[in-house]
Amino acid sequence: MSPRNRAVLLAEGLSRQGHVAPAVEACFEALRLDEADPLVHALLADLFLAGDFYDEAIKAASEAIELDPDCAPAYLALGLAYDRRGGMWDQSILVWHELAEVRPDLVTAHVQLGEALAAAAFEEEAIEAWKAALALDAAEPRAMYNLAVAALKKEGMATALPGFRKAGELDPSQDDFFFSLAGVYDDGTPAPDPTEVEPDRDARLAAAFALAFEEDFFNAADLIRLILDEDPDDPEALALAGYLYLKQEAVNEAMAVALRGLAVSTKTPTAVYVLGASFAKRTGLNRNAARVFGALAKAVPDEPMPHVLLAESLLGLQRYGQAKQAYLRAVELDPTFVRARFGLAAVLLTEGEYSRAHHEIRRAAYHDTRRQGLFWRLYDDYAQGRE
Amino acid sequence: MADDAAARLYQAFVSQDPAQAITVIEKVKASGVAQAQLFDQLFAPAMSLLGGAWASGAIDEYTFTQAAVVAEQITSFVTLPSTAQDTGITVIVGVIHKDTHAIDKDITTAALTEAGHRVVDLGVDVHPAEFLERAEEAAARIVIVFASMTGTARSVAGVREAFGAAGRDDIVLLVAGGPFAADTALAKSVGANGIVRGAESALKIVAKAAQKAGAA
Repeated sequence: MSPRNRAVLLAEGLSRQGHVAPAVEACFEALRLDEADPLVHALLADLFLAGDFYDEAIKAASEAIELDPDCAPAYLALGLAYDRRGGMWDQSILVWHELAEVRPDLVTAHVQLGEALAAAAFEEEAIEAWKAALALDAAEPRAMYNLAVAALKKEGMATALPGFRKAGELDPSQDDFFFSLAGVYDDGTPAPDPTEVEPDRDARLAAAFALAFEEDFFNAADLIRLILDEDPDDPEALALAGYLYLKQEAVNEAMAVALRGLAVSTKTPTAVYVLGASFAKRTGLNRNAARVFGALAKAVPDEPMPHVLLAESLLGLQRYGQAKQAYLRAVELDPTFVRARFGLAAVLLTEGEYSRAHHEIRRAAYHDTRRQGLFWRLYDDYAQGRE
Repeated sequence: MADDAAARLYQAFVSQDPAQAITVIEKVKASGVAQAQLFDQLFAPAMSLLGGAWASGAIDEYTFTQAAVVAEQITSFVTLPSTAQDTGITVIVGVIHKDTHAIDKDITTAALTEAGHRVVDLGVDVHPAEFLERAEEAAARIVIVFASMTGTARSVAGVREAFGAAGRDDIVLLVAGGPFAADTALAKSVGANGIVRGAESALKIVAKAAQKAGAA
């Protein structure tokens, strides 16, 4: 196999930057130089997929596979194209099977295979595929979302809802939301050494948030203790304490400190979140959780997560129509929000809208693979493997 | 009064005394506070006191954890039951003969059961006469028949005919499935009293039908 020529590198660069049309042109230029390069056909397939040209994506990916049956990125593009085009379940199942064989360690291949099987009404086989995905990675949220949907079909929402919530907890977006409420974002800076933090409230709180972000809960808790020793009525410190308890499954402790934080100041969104999340973990408190998340959704209306949390609480109250509106709002705010798409699919299933439900799951699959950067991971591995 | 009760409940938590906590709750209930209000009016303020005591260092980590365990033990006394109370309404559900699409039925059955209704699930591929037979056995006055194909949807008329032949026109026949949702006239033509368009719709229509049946 030849190394990537300059035309291929240009196409890659443009594609990685999201310049779809010039990247397609660069791919065709690269194919004029070497029409038998599976890498370029695979890249072209991904670009066609990004532009919703499914038939063209199928053609390009198929050519890549014909040239090299081990071209993993082409299988991904082909499977996603089949799924999004719809009505090609047999082919889709075959492609995901192939990808799982070419890359047996690839969790997403098993998840996708399950989704293709479920769309073709092979429910039991689908469940086995998702279980296989979880055996590879027990924290794979999409496999959990799918198992929750399967539980909904068989046993109803009461059985499915804990699965949706569990999957949501595995999904890092919920923690990211908590930190975004506190104005903490991942800027690549590591958390400070707790022994070197300045002995003032703001420095300690910032360090505690940074440590909590890195899941160093004990050091974060020690810093919070120091803040509370000086001012036990610090609502932001109380909210973070609640979050730390929540992460260690100490739900009542989290609830207690969040309630205290809100008694001090009702305008502490982090405490509101912790309280709602505590309520959501207790059966019988869906009404309370819905009230709290409803307030949070009003406080930060442009954040999709509180709308999803509200929707899940409404599902627990059998208010499916209202849950649908909340999910739709979340999807409107963030079309790539996998948890919202799966929740919306669940509500659509309660309305007997199967094709729309599966459409939402297919959209979730597409955005999930994009979010993971899966195509580029497979592409880079494949390119390196042949050079 | 409420503040005082919350303080006593908090004290019971910290003393790790669930029996005392329940006594406090029962007294508040006896004073006229509804079950649905206990969590907000009593439990939440007591938990806030607990959080405050931990934050100020008035109680140590161990006591906080133990108090949280007591709070957990008595939570069911201050919340509404997680399963709905039996409504006494019996609903017969099933998928019509020659149709095996069960997902709609299963989701709706689970929702009705969760809401406290007594659901008799006849499964799939159910003959029209069986709906009548089981409705009479269970003294049910509401029957939901599911059909996912136009052909099988038309055959739901056989269920209404069976009810009529037995002089049971009082049974409320509800139909569910894509063909009925798409064509209201089809539902009317098979003698249905209403169309169920999903689980929430089933909950609303069954509640309404039960109300009417009760009033009749």
